[in-house]
Amino acid sequence: MLKTFFYSFLIYWKGTDKLYDYIIIGAGVIGSNIARELCRYQTKVLVLDKENDVANVQSLANSAIVHSGHNPEPGSLKARLSVWGNLLYEQMEEELGIPLLKTGAYVVAHNHHEEQELDKLAELARINQVPEFSILNYEEALLDEPNLSKTVTKVLSLPTTKVTYPWEVAFAAMENAIKNGVEFRKNALVTKIRKVGNVFYVTVNNNQEYQSKYLINAAGVASDDIAGMIEKKVPYTIKGRKGEYFVLDKRVKGFVNHVLYPLPTELGKGVLITPQFHGEILLGPNSLEVKDKYHPTTSYEGLTYVKENAALLADNIPINQIIRSFAGIRSTSDYDDFYIKESLEVKGFYHLGGIDSPGLTACFAIAKYLVEEVMNVGEIYSIDPNFDPLRKKKVLFNRLSLTEKKDLLLKEPLYGNIICKCEKITEKEILDAMHGPLGSNTIKGIKKRTRAGAGLCQGGYCEEKIIKMIAKEFNISPLEIAYDKEETKLFVAETKVKP
Amino acid sequence: MTKEFICIVCPRGCHVLVDDAGNISGNQCKRGETYVKNEMTNPKRVVTTTVRTVFEEIPRASVKTLEAIPKGLIYQAMDLINQVVITKEMKIGEVVIENILNTGVNVVLTKEIKRKEVK
Amino acid sequence: MIKEIVVIGGGASGLAAAIAAKKKNKDVLLIEREAELGGILNQCIHNGFGLEVFKEEYTGPEYAYKFIEEFNSLDIEYLLNATVIKLDKVDDIFIITLSSEKLGLSEIKAKAVVISSGCYERTRGQITMPGDRPRGVITAGSAQRYLNINGFLVGKKVFILGSGDIGLIMARRMHLEGAEVLGVAEIMPYSNGLNRNIVQCLNDFDIPLYLSHTVTNVESDEFKRLKAITIQEVDSRFNPIKGTEKHFSVDTLLLSIGLIPDITLLDDFDIDVDPKTKSAKINQAYETTVNGLFICGNSLQVHDLVDNVSKESSRAGTSAADYIDGLVTSRQKIKIIPKENILYVAPQYLDFGWSFKELIISFRSSKKLEKAAIKIYQGEKLVYQKRRTFIVPAEMEQVSFPYSELSKDEDLRVELEEL
Repeated sequence: MLKTFFYSFLIYWKGTDKLYDYIIIGAGVIGSNIARELCRYQTKVLVLDKENDVANVQSLANSAIVHSGHNPEPGSLKARLSVWGNLLYEQMEEELGIPLLKTGAYVVAHNHHEEQELDKLAELARINQVPEFSILNYEEALLDEPNLSKTVTKVLSLPTTKVTYPWEVAFAAMENAIKNGVEFRKNALVTKIRKVGNVFYVTVNNNQEYQSKYLINAAGVASDDIAGMIEKKVPYTIKGRKGEYFVLDKRVKGFVNHVLYPLPTELGKGVLITPQFHGEILLGPNSLEVKDKYHPTTSYEGLTYVKENAALLADNIPINQIIRSFAGIRSTSDYDDFYIKESLEVKGFYHLGGIDSPGLTACFAIAKYLVEEVMNVGEIYSIDPNFDPLRKKKVLFNRLSLTEKKDLLLKEPLYGNIICKCEKITEKEILDAMHGPLGSNTIKGIKKRTRAGAGLCQGGYCEEKIIKMIAKEFNISPLEIAYDKEETKLFVAETKVKP
Repeated sequence: MTKEFICIVCPRGCHVLVDDAGNISGNQCKRGETYVKNEMTNPKRVVTTTVRTVFEEIPRASVKTLEAIPKGLIYQAMDLINQVVITKEMKIGEVVIENILNTGVNVVLTKEIKRKEVK
Repeated sequence: MIKEIVVIGGGASGLAAAIAAKKKNKDVLLIEREAELGGILNQCIHNGFGLEVFKEEYTGPEYAYKFIEEFNSLDIEYLLNATVIKLDKVDDIFIITLSSEKLGLSEIKAKAVVISSGCYERTRGQITMPGDRPRGVITAGSAQRYLNINGFLVGKKVFILGSGDIGLIMARRMHLEGAEVLGVAEIMPYSNGLNRNIVQCLNDFDIPLYLSHTVTNVESDEFKRLKAITIQEVDSRFNPIKGTEKHFSVDTLLLSIGLIPDITLLDDFDIDVDPKTKSAKINQAYETTVNGLFICGNSLQVHDLVDNVSKESSRAGTSAADYIDGLVTSRQKIKIIPKENILYVAPQYLDFGWSFKELIISFRSSKKLEKAAIKIYQGEKLVYQKRRTFIVPAEMEQVSFPYSELSKDEDLRVELEEL
């Protein structure tokens, strides 16, 4: 008892020396972008995430699509923020160096009934002000998509649909936020929230407390649990829906050029075929409500469903080129739109609930909407004249032209040393991923930043080399190196008796 | 009753049969017969493992027992080999433990320990 | 400057190919991406290598050293720490693009190229294994490297999926280094490893082998570490049988579920690929359907014995030298087709322009056969036959016979007749 008292006293003492203006819980694509938007004003911001990296749950495993906004109910936040968000991607490609693959999309119909549904969808696209959409017949669609299933009769073409690289969206926003003064703490699980007077007290890992004037709940899948720490009645419940996927190796690049959608159902956009920024192709997802929203797993049934349904979109899918399967989770809620509002119970507490698809599409718009229209930050804090919106684009060495490569190599010979042979990632790129404001010393962190280990051999060749690099750069034993969370150490013991 | 052995002398892995009278068949070479006879009386195995070195770039070096040793001694042999530390450059075949567990068999290096020259 | 022959890869295959080509007085350059020669042999510290080539039993590193010594004695030019990132052919000349810290990006030209780039391990992603994706599911070869080269154990309670040789060898290695190995599951009704490895890696240490079983669930703990696996018996169509579930608490699942030839360097070539070997189709000179481009070793077909890699690659190196010497007189060829009970054959073509006298065919059976006759037909004519016992898919078989009498118009069919 006395010990507990003494301990909490220590925490109080530690906590009181800083009062943040905003604490954001969650560092996915949403939390990271809100942090960055807040930098436009003279604010002190802290971001907390329970994971050992940004973008590690919903932002980690998804289709990577920037949808056109054709699908959501007209007048909904989802409709407005996805059309706006889609536009913002083009701007962010310039400002933050966000990867964008301008694929366009085809929504396909197979028969008369589906063609009627397709027409209704086109009408939604018109109302939602989706640019440049059109209806194509099978022959027209086939010109740009030679592997389109022969069973397709008509398609809705959505040229503004594109594909991004979700991890880089979060890295870019958070790196830029940190550069503009935001503090980020990883491995910080929020365990308690209280509000005393006008101050929020946020306890992390049961042993440390942070204080802020406002609190933003961008905790994704956990957002209802987080809200439950401070609200008696949380206005929504997250019903996790998992989505299972296959990844086809980048050797199949060009098998499809557009994002291929079936007609949407109540469960979502259905099983898609999606070309990825780095050349791979995703098949999936299915959509299944799961009991344990923190543990999406793959299943025979789920993956079989994905294969069968993908086959309705394209013929002769090269499934022998599958290099990975995975399951992601959507934080679908029982509220049928994004829930982006101030708490009805607790003033200064803001919800970002039910941000499932098109959350990635809308992330930049969601951040702006929250900051400008929901929180009206401009009325509370003055503009920060020193805000620098620009972030340098990451060097993707393998994508440079031969001349660019040779020029860079003169300055930096480590670009010559290939560490990941499948994705052709160089020693310099991996070193860069270890250092800098969002540097990582985990295998997964480096994979997310560079793609080393994401290819054909799934790290079988390069993981050992990366371990050696981490050990050297951070001066630690390989025994201390983790795959992701600190507890996921790569090795359990060293062999042989220590002399 | 006929007993079946899989000969492990070479990767061919002959299925060798021994009948009640002790007649051996199925082996494609003489060594198979010797193997089965030993296997019935005193089975032996070559132990291959590693030893620690003091060199950062070669943290472990591989070793083997030059001949097979009795199967029952494998764990004891491992305990002894695990304590060896190589502190100097050595060649393949050099002895790291002489006459291990009085078997008359030496443990030798199977990898040259040579520090990389800086060119 | 144009090299005569560039060999890509400095493991068992590349060393043998380069040595053979150099012995025919060719100007040879070998390119290796690692810091030392020897390739995967360096981590294969177990014995059993060399009986065919040297009539003596060596460990992997010793076997490699024999070849490295000969390679060095012939003064063959080589590069270390250099990765080939692109291979092209313009007219009759190959352009090899290299990347290294020392040389940056450079281009090397060659008249002939031998691909000896080995293979990579099939990963979890390439099979459908349901469940979580925790840390602790790792390919056996990676675990072998960590253990034997770096000195680190990946786990203390281990299960192994797949009875490939690396898995079996690792069962023994991890057991002897103090880990508990709970079992090996193999989806096929027979083992995929050599018999001797079943005996001395599993039976010697009472490690159970579950034939016709596979892993049907993977569970992780709250930190996404492997916590447990479930294995299940499968029926003849490989579907899991309900009620046969067995659970094991483990921290590591080693995968020994197959090796796949690494032919990514050939991606830009319009070559014939054999879906069974997952590598390029070749003629008996180990030449792909691109003239002057040779392939051998595990990048051609996955071998069980390194001795066969060396012999095959040596022949490929010799062929490359013959090609340089202009000894290929024509390009008239027939197909060699796998039939009854044959999984694959290599070569897939017999090309009559080459000066070899013997045709060597490697093949694997598609099922276990106690007694069988290997029969090769050309049309209705039986051109070769031989009886064999104990034929299993896990062990590559070879036959060799003179082909000067064969017709140049009709394809060859290879069959295994069950006796």
